Amino acid sequence: MNTFQGFDYDVIIVGSGAGGGMAAYTLTQAGHRVLMLEAGRDYDPLTETPMFNSNFEAPLLGSGTPDKDFGYYDATVDGGWTVPGEPYTTAEGTEFLWWRSRMLGGRTNHWGRFSLRFSHHDFKGYSRDGLGVDWPVDYEEMAPWYDRTEKLVGVSGNNPGLDDMPDSGPGVLQPPFKPRVPELLLQAAGKKLGIPVVPMRRAVLSRPLDNRQACFNATDCGRGCSIGAAFQTTTSLLPMAKATGKLKIVTDAMVKCVDVDYQGKASGVSYIDRKTRNVVILQARVVILAASACESARLLLNSKSPQFPNGVANSSGQVGKNLMDSTGAGTAALISGLQGRPRYNEDGNTANHVFIPWWGHKSQERKELDFPRGYHFEVGSGFFSPRMAIGSVARGYGKKMKDEVKRLYGTYMSLSLRGEMLPNENCYMEIDDKVKDQWGIPVAKFHWKWSEHELKQVSHGLNTARKILQTMGGLVIVPEQPAEQAIKKGGEIIHEVGTTRMGTSPKSSVTNHHGQTWDCSNLFIMDGGVFASNPHKNCTLTIMTLAMRNASWLATEMNKGVL
Amino acid sequence: MKELKDTNDSTVDDSTVDDNTNNTYDLVENISIIESKFYSSKISRRESLKWMSSVSAGAAMTVVYPQESEATSTTGLSISDWPKIKLAPITAKGYGKDPKLSSPSIPWPLTLSQSQLNLVAVLADIIIPAEEGVPSASDVGIPDFVNEWISAPYPQQQEHRTLLVPGLLWVDQEALRLFGNHFIEVTPAQQFEIVDSIAFPTTQTPNTLKMPVSFFAGLRQLVVGAFFCSPAGIKDIGYLGNVPITGDYPGPTKEAMAHLEDLLGKLGLSL
Repeated sequence: MNTFQGFDYDVIIVGSGAGGGMAAYTLTQAGHRVLMLEAGRDYDPLTETPMFNSNFEAPLLGSGTPDKDFGYYDATVDGGWTVPGEPYTTAEGTEFLWWRSRMLGGRTNHWGRFSLRFSHHDFKGYSRDGLGVDWPVDYEEMAPWYDRTEKLVGVSGNNPGLDDMPDSGPGVLQPPFKPRVPELLLQAAGKKLGIPVVPMRRAVLSRPLDNRQACFNATDCGRGCSIGAAFQTTTSLLPMAKATGKLKIVTDAMVKCVDVDYQGKASGVSYIDRKTRNVVILQARVVILAASACESARLLLNSKSPQFPNGVANSSGQVGKNLMDSTGAGTAALISGLQGRPRYNEDGNTANHVFIPWWGHKSQERKELDFPRGYHFEVGSGFFSPRMAIGSVARGYGKKMKDEVKRLYGTYMSLSLRGEMLPNENCYMEIDDKVKDQWGIPVAKFHWKWSEHELKQVSHGLNTARKILQTMGGLVIVPEQPAEQAIKKGGEIIHEVGTTRMGTSPKSSVTNHHGQTWDCSNLFIMDGGVFASNPHKNCTLTIMTLAMRNASWLATEMNKGVL
Repeated sequence: MKELKDTNDSTVDDSTVDDNTNNTYDLVENISIIESKFYSSKISRRESLKWMSSVSAGAAMTVVYPQESEATSTTGLSISDWPKIKLAPITAKGYGKDPKLSSPSIPWPLTLSQSQLNLVAVLADIIIPAEEGVPSASDVGIPDFVNEWISAPYPQQQEHRTLLVPGLLWVDQEALRLFGNHFIEVTPAQQFEIVDSIAFPTTQTPNTLKMPVSFFAGLRQLVVGAFFCSPAGIKDIGYLGNVPITGDYPGPTKEAMAHLEDLLGKLGLSL
């Protein structure tokens, strides 16, 4: 047992987001004492979230700026595409965007809350198409952990019985949100085309849970949620873990490296107190990194010692490699038949209530598609809170122009593709020895190149999206582009994973199937870094599920005295 | 014609407009030329100077006309040239990466003069006039928003500024050229004549109007976007959200469903 500021602890967790929050919850429930280090400031959604504040009250009507990339009210604190004093670099000729935040709860405070569990296809892609690697776990192993995680986090949705969407256990999901008019129209178009349109699963409560309220069908979840309906660790896992008395959180603690002892085990971490700029050295029985895929990899690579000249836990040379994001692309249409439709409140849970899951597994088995792996479409439509963009459809001026804007309100639909990317040797991160951040820590340097697989997938997806929109009588308003231009930049979808991947061999992976590093038995990774592949389904639910499963195993090992 | 460049100098700096040096004027000098030809404004000289001084203090400009410019020629028959204005960059700070979200404030100084605001107000009310029971753009303070927007220290807003500030000058020049008076002083019919020339671009629209057309589209987007974000605009467009609904989300109303059923029938689709 180590002590810090009068608090006894066994485990240090670096990071308070999805992985760190779940690890802290699981370990403290199991009776272990945890010291959590968060690089950002303390943050309280109950007092800091602007729930009903309108765009009209915000600077620049809430539009995004380099200070607040996703708009004034976005919950992200001290982050976004840039973090002051903490740059990253990209190799010449490549582009990569890295979204970070510096706040308690990390990126769970603003994420989209889309919560799609991976399927048996997703865990064993290599076995089917020979690309990438299989996960060292399978769906059957993960299914009960998904059930526990979904129940704890609170996921609304249903079981449509599709091969891309394995059923959750009985009573696990909360009821889905009713579709809105444009979403019903999309369902009808999907029915004609044989494309499924089903309720989205989101970590947004439709029923109260613990001390969190059900969604009251208003205000954008990206602002954070002061009633706790939209999941974030700051209103759920962290307060629950703290209530055990076994968790202490230290904010403004920027960890710079993992320290190792003479036996090559992790002895603890060193962090820089952002307020005093002092270095604090902490010891621990077990260290868990959950700082986000690229921050944790950066930490490992920056933890060099005679025993670990290439960084801790990097004997495989795989730390920083296999960096993946989701593919992203989109198109949109004006659906003239929706013009002038009767008004009603379409806020709902403020994101899409339905979506299009991947429906092409059978076609891929029959070799009918020229790309591997799947994608899904998220849907943008409805009478949403007016914002600056509404002015872009105006033509002419005066009453006639105004009437047209009003007629066109609620008639647009966008389909955003999110697809699986395969790992490739051109996509990785390393340390840029020439650049240090304001804390003196060498920064991450990114390399990026999409492969043919992703480009062909995006072409297929955009063609399909246009067909769907046209089936609704939609006039596509986004010009057709070659896939190379239509695809979003690496990192832009903010699903970066894979930099400390788990596997079955210390030669080709960084951790075993419990997120335990092969080289350092008391050092664990519990963020998206451990992903062996990056299915098209947004990564947060699986980060939490793995963290729950692996922290449960860790708790048992600690109880047994193995660790 | 020379592209606009930024300068760090708050004074007029004609070295930055090297290939047009002979045609570089201090804005005040330029306006005095215009005034000597067309001046019959009801705006007091003092007010004109106020705009100028505010502009030169907050955002020094260099105005560059092309050589042998038709606009400055004595014929006065063709379209006014796009004013080549050099705006000093806005150096104020933004609201930062951790602003207090529940009590927003705008830390940057506003840069439009009263006269510019007057002009924005007239144009904004042409774009969004008052209707029965619905206020106009200026009634709900949209000119102040335009000022806030183009004075903001962010790249997108500064780009808009380099379109909007010269555009305001262009509109005024055009009014002076055509009707011998400032835009806000000419008759509504005369104002509409100018606005009509830039509000409805077609493939036939002459190149000389390319920038004025962009200016009007840019201003319109700001005015329309801001108006429909205002409480009056939200009511006008019929947005019914941002209110808590306890219990399950109710979904579409009967009327909304009837409209959808009708559309599905027309499209040959079914639920």
